[in-house]
Amino acid sequence: MMQQEEDRTPRVALVGNPNSGKSTVFNLLTGLRQQTGNFPGVTVEIKKGRMRFPSGKEATLIDFPGTYSLYPTSSDEKLVAAVMCDPQNPFFPDALIYIADVTHLERHLLLLTQLLDLHLPVILALNMSDTALEMGIKVNTAKLIERLGIPVISISGRKEDNIQKLLSEVEKTLKNPIRTAENVFFYKLSDGEKQIADAVRHNLGIDNPYRALLLVHHRDWLPFLQPQQREILGTIAETKDFQSLRAQVDETLDRFDRFVPIVRDAIQQPPVFPSTATDRIDAVLTHRWWGPFIFVAVMLLIFQAIFDWSGYPMDAIENGFGILSDGVQSTLGEGWFTELLTDGILAGLSGILVFVPQIALLFLLIAILEEVGYMARVVFMFDKTMRRFGMNGRSVISLISGSACAVPAIMSSRTIGNWQERLITVMVTPFISCSARIPVYLVLIGLAVPAVKVAGILSAQTLVFGSMYALGVVAALLSGWAMKKWLRTREPSFLAIELPEYRMPHWKNVWLSVWEKVVAFVSGAGKIILVVSIVLWALSRYGPGDSIALATEQAHTEAIAMRLDSNQTEDFVQQRRLEASFAGKMGKSFEPLIRPLGYDWKIGIALLTSFAAREVFTGTLAVLYNMGSEEGDINNRDENEAKATLRSKMKTETFSDTGKPVYSLATAMSLLVFYALAMQCFSTLAVVRRETGGWKWAALQFFAMSLLAYFGAWAVYEIFS
Amino acid sequence: MQRRYRTIPDLKINESACTISISDAALACKLTAMGVLPGTRIEMVRTSPFGNAYYIKVDGVRIALREEEAASILLEI
Ligand SMILES: Nc1nc2c(ncn2[C@@H]2O[C@H](COP(=O)(O)OP(=O)(O)OP(=O)(O)O)[C@@H](O)[C@H]2O)c(=O)[nH]1
Repeated sequence: MMQQEEDRTPRVALVGNPNSGKSTVFNLLTGLRQQTGNFPGVTVEIKKGRMRFPSGKEATLIDFPGTYSLYPTSSDEKLVAAVMCDPQNPFFPDALIYIADVTHLERHLLLLTQLLDLHLPVILALNMSDTALEMGIKVNTAKLIERLGIPVISISGRKEDNIQKLLSEVEKTLKNPIRTAENVFFYKLSDGEKQIADAVRHNLGIDNPYRALLLVHHRDWLPFLQPQQREILGTIAETKDFQSLRAQVDETLDRFDRFVPIVRDAIQQPPVFPSTATDRIDAVLTHRWWGPFIFVAVMLLIFQAIFDWSGYPMDAIENGFGILSDGVQSTLGEGWFTELLTDGILAGLSGILVFVPQIALLFLLIAILEEVGYMARVVFMFDKTMRRFGMNGRSVISLISGSACAVPAIMSSRTIGNWQERLITVMVTPFISCSARIPVYLVLIGLAVPAVKVAGILSAQTLVFGSMYALGVVAALLSGWAMKKWLRTREPSFLAIELPEYRMPHWKNVWLSVWEKVVAFVSGAGKIILVVSIVLWALSRYGPGDSIALATEQAHTEAIAMRLDSNQTEDFVQQRRLEASFAGKMGKSFEPLIRPLGYDWKIGIALLTSFAAREVFTGTLAVLYNMGSEEGDINNRDENEAKATLRSKMKTETFSDTGKPVYSLATAMSLLVFYALAMQCFSTLAVVRRETGGWKWAALQFFAMSLLAYFGAWAVYEIFS
Repeated sequence: MQRRYRTIPDLKINESACTISISDAALACKLTAMGVLPGTRIEMVRTSPFGNAYYIKVDGVRIALREEEAASILLEI
């Protein structure tokens, strides 16, 4: 059965229904000792953390997705069945904590009885005992212990009640696992099922009949099965004429029949559920008219808050890095190493950290909405709308999160059961304007759109800014619609979602969720931005052969001939060096391709460098337009001033052949559209690859979005010029 | 012929009825696991703003269902 190696840290699994308070208990037991192991390069999908027992010993706590039973309908839920059926799985637990909402115990024990039939050592934690107390629910724990034959503890994740007791119970169970006896089962297999289990035991050597049965149910997708095992299981199912769905329903009903009396016996509940605050709130929040209206208002409020509040910390971070960079420059003196530090590494780090305030704030607000239970209502209200576009009500959460960062947003699509709907969600989420696009938008809009009021109230700049967001949403929905027409699966798709009771947010959960998302961004997207920044620095500093040296020499001669002063000379030389560098050569060879969109080779370089992470764009332009020498480093000054300098430099740019200005309204609009639509984020592609199980969809997404951006930008350029 | 059952879309707001069975097998799996069992009383609370989804209550638990899902739960007359 189970191998118990002495030297390994024991594994404890946390399982339970959705909304039972699992995450709360997980956060409580592990604190910040969590690892999501969820990001590019790491293939693990489960949340893990370390828990410490009173004795000082430790165990790994694994948080499994909430699920109602071992018959899953989403890839999230499949994980639970896949691990529990496979003792060889690296996550297979040595003990389980089963979290059940004691206020709804009658419907929270199905999964527990299934796990017991797999003869796993389970501890039942009756959560929300605080609410139960308020509602006047009385629990006879001793009776549950007796009838279920396992340890049972009343806890409260929110009030942190009885957590120590839970810990010592877990430690006791690890030392001395209490398993249901070999021949005791909660669910009595039907005769047909018994024959099947026997056949599986004969052929595959699986002794536990319930596990054998589960293998037959899930033979098509269980990841650990060998092809020939699948075949054997298929043959068994066929010869016994096994109807999986029917059997699942019968088993579920039978289990309910058996455990509901146990619960009723042990729990004294007030006879009726009173109409609660939740009902009154929902009468407004999910109201036919008020519901959608309030949703839009909430969204607007969130974005308003982000733009109003995140400016200050962002400025502080940029200024801080400016000072640091200056410090490095003055202590180390000039040289390639200093440049690598300041223009490569520090610029890259600043480019990552500057997004943290915005991302943190957005995810803070999303986490609050999720914590109080509002998100489930959004899913309910917009399911139909999203289904028109090939998605699922649950996709709304991914799309909203996508406005902060696509990486965690795409990962949140795992709750969508239908593969096609989930795939479409993953494919279109990057269209939503994420925080990395904002600086690009700001620079370009400031450059091209006059600061005038439209119709006397709205500023034209705000209007264009808003339209960029709208463009992203429209592009996401329309591509969803197109994919729906193109893909057709007959896989069932469910809404069937529980709308939890409204609750005040539990702040510990909220902070941890924000922390998790920020870590996802910094370790996922951040690493790539840093690497790009360093590569970019190298590409623009070095050139093929001695081209740089030649260009420098020539520039100096020309500068003398043109009688430039020392500052102008430095600028001029810098520019010539850049033209001669690898980056310059690449940009130039690129120019014919992007000329129809109204771009010159400098923009070409910026496009090229922002290919892997779009936030690099403004930084690249700052280097290209060589803002360094005149008034000190870009980071050194007030952000607006720096942007204004960049803008004025960009404004004076002309095409070398025609002499026309590069940054006309047409070019800027074309660039805006390009950035709104293009897939320029390597970390997103990496996540898409992982979530869809291969490069195929990531590649398709990359090419489709790039083509759309190219032709969209072209069309816009033609319209405006 | 007269039907011998109703479904959720037939219910008026705040009306309730007992379930007989669930006609779609895949959905039956999901719903029974969520505790929508034969014999439980379902109360219709409201429809979604854009139609096509139902907000129901089962034993004090609130569940949102799509039209097709709601239509496959057969209820007593
Ligand atoms: N009153 C009370 N509320 C709790 C308790 N534990 C958790 N909650 C709240 O219940 C809600 C759901 O808790 P989560 O921890 O997110 O539940 P979960 O089981 O992880 O839910 P999923 O993530 O959907 O699987 C949150 O609003 C929690 O704050 C508790 O002991 N008492």
